[in-house]
Amino acid sequence: MNYDFSPQEFDFCIKLHEAMSPYAEEKIEALRSAADLRYHLDQILSLLADTPYLKLGIMPVEGLNGLVTLMSALEAIAAISPSVALSIGHGTHIFGRIIDAWGDVAQKQKWLNPLLSGKLLGAVALCEESLNTDSDALITSGVRNGNWVTVNGHKPHVVNAPIADWIAVAGSLDHRPVLFIIEKENPGVSIRARKRTLGYEGTAMADIRLEGCIVPMDQVIAMGRSDGLSGIRLFENQLLTGLSLGLMKSAFEAAKSHAKTHKSGGKPIIAYQEIGFKLSEMLTLYQTAQLFALRAASSAQTRPREAESLALCAKVFCTEACETVSGEALRILGTAGYEVGKGAERAYRCAKYGQIAGTSTEIARVRIGDQALGLRV
Amino acid sequence: MDFEFTRDQLMFKKEIIRFAKKEIVPRIQAFELKKQFDFESFRKLGEFGILGLHFPEAYGGGGADVITTVLAGEALGEAGVDGGLTLAYGAHTFLCADTIFRHGTEAQRRKYIPKLASGEWIGCMGLTEPNAGSDVASMRTTAEKRGDTYVLNGGKIFITNGPIADVAVVYAKTDPEKKHAGISAFIVEKGTKGFSSGPNILKMGVCTSQTSELFFSDCVIPAQNLLGTENEGFNMSLQTVEWDRSALLAPFIGASTYMLNRCVEYAKKREQFGRAIAQFQSIKHKIANIRIFGEAARGLVYRIAWCKDQGRPLNHLEAAVAKLFVGDWSMAPSNDAVVLFGGYGYCHEYDMERIFRDSRLAPIGGGTSDIQKMIISKLI
Repeated sequence: MNYDFSPQEFDFCIKLHEAMSPYAEEKIEALRSAADLRYHLDQILSLLADTPYLKLGIMPVEGLNGLVTLMSALEAIAAISPSVALSIGHGTHIFGRIIDAWGDVAQKQKWLNPLLSGKLLGAVALCEESLNTDSDALITSGVRNGNWVTVNGHKPHVVNAPIADWIAVAGSLDHRPVLFIIEKENPGVSIRARKRTLGYEGTAMADIRLEGCIVPMDQVIAMGRSDGLSGIRLFENQLLTGLSLGLMKSAFEAAKSHAKTHKSGGKPIIAYQEIGFKLSEMLTLYQTAQLFALRAASSAQTRPREAESLALCAKVFCTEACETVSGEALRILGTAGYEVGKGAERAYRCAKYGQIAGTSTEIARVRIGDQALGLRV
Repeated sequence: MDFEFTRDQLMFKKEIIRFAKKEIVPRIQAFELKKQFDFESFRKLGEFGILGLHFPEAYGGGGADVITTVLAGEALGEAGVDGGLTLAYGAHTFLCADTIFRHGTEAQRRKYIPKLASGEWIGCMGLTEPNAGSDVASMRTTAEKRGDTYVLNGGKIFITNGPIADVAVVYAKTDPEKKHAGISAFIVEKGTKGFSSGPNILKMGVCTSQTSELFFSDCVIPAQNLLGTENEGFNMSLQTVEWDRSALLAPFIGASTYMLNRCVEYAKKREQFGRAIAQFQSIKHKIANIRIFGEAARGLVYRIAWCKDQGRPLNHLEAAVAKLFVGDWSMAPSNDAVVLFGGYGYCHEYDMERIFRDSRLAPIGGGTSDIQKMIISKLI
């Protein structure tokens, strides 16, 4: 047992924070054109490629602890720019982990090298039109024709869709779940307009329609086991857990700073017991969530059989704690926090996505319950 | 970072669960209904080595590290041992015996630790007074030095194990002018003239633990019963906080696992509308909530234990966070468990209502949730 970060991990997170500082969320969310957004993300990717960040969770890095370090790194980046953390989380980490987990040697060579050097941005299209893959079968499907597959389907709300180079599309082929890795420019791929969203406004999200989209068989990844989709959900849930830590950090820090500097009745408002107590409850949730997220990430590396269930528990706890903490931060900040673009206000809006995306907290509770009841493992 | 227990620790935990389920759990209901202390079970805890687990073997202990000791507390909760017995164990081992071990002379250690580790003697700790709970400096009990003796006068309240203790660690003012810096700790044995305890105070939960007032009326004790140095008592009492935030919270974590297992068992058997209630989503949600609480709390408690094993000074912020979380957030899952059991959850026959009542102590005992918030808000 060891509850300490290694010196290398500390050093890495500090450097990451320094490197990301120029890319604050307000700068990113102001970029409405996909080209501008991609330009900035390329700059950030290039910068991150000089650090171990992009490799975390995909390949071992000496002195760092894989997913555990990734969780802290996500917190650090999401506290500065949640949209960047979400975009790169999907575009590099989830996309990369998919290729790493299920791709063959040639596929890894083709996509992992440029991905880890920050020269490629991916997207992962999992949800179907029903916005659900947990209970409903995949409708997107491919029809084999020699060495080619014709893919048809509709994938809504795909993070990075307007700016990605490659899209990993979950579908079925010969009644088995597969991923079609499709180039954005591939004929038959149409990316719809970028959506306006409640939170993560600096993330480009759009629907994708695939109509007679022909892809070569060497761009099809068989997930081997039927629970491959659960594996991708696990990656997504881990990402959302890490993001919620960063959101809590920015909301808590904003509220704490305000409580220490804003005066009422001649004294800083933190001197009022109600404010101090509120901050204490927020910190309690934040610290508990941090530790829970790290433990769940560690478990994914050491006890993979239990990882999915513990990751779901952590995801539910952390994303709900995030909404509570950011909501309480807004109450402490008063009207000062109500202004669009302030840390707590943004965290509050983004917090909702954490509960909805990945395995929603409602479905997650059913799955946790099922697992405990032995109904589904 | 590494959150794994060793193989030996996990095996030991299993052993304790097996032991507790066989030797202790079947006896709980009878003692709970009578609100009596189960001396036999307490003695068995001693025989198994739990009461003195972390003391060196030379003093009759098990030589275990803090993590293993905390795991033992979790195991008792997970086996279904009631909060009354685990509270009695906590007050005995960590508040009384550990204070003697940590601050006592070699003679004091030799005299008391083996008897306390085996369960031959029961210990308690007297700190709280009617007007000095969290505000320790307002303590009114005094200890006046007279030659080779101290004379104690005053009273304590809400003392776990008070009516049944053979030995008490008692805090009293030796320099009333100095507030915190004027408090000292003493060992007072049962039967000492001028020392008595009141009747058991009936409580909402943890009913098998016996709680009472302690009275000191010109109670003369030898000067050698002073623990450590005079006027150092307040710091000694703070040192028990490390145990308070780890070993004493661990049974609550274990109890959440017990509730989870019992709810799963019941939900699979209980049928409504032609199917097991386990099939209903709201039941699954309740089960999930219980599990999520336990998993979230576990890391906080073991972090305190691990730091103690490393010999680090207590991080008061982390300790208060652990206490506040376990205290305030444990109530919802225990409520969920009662509701899941429906009418049976409300009845003594099933133990969910006992766990619900026992869990009410978590935000109160060992420093209320409000006190934890005060500590956290000062340290932020």
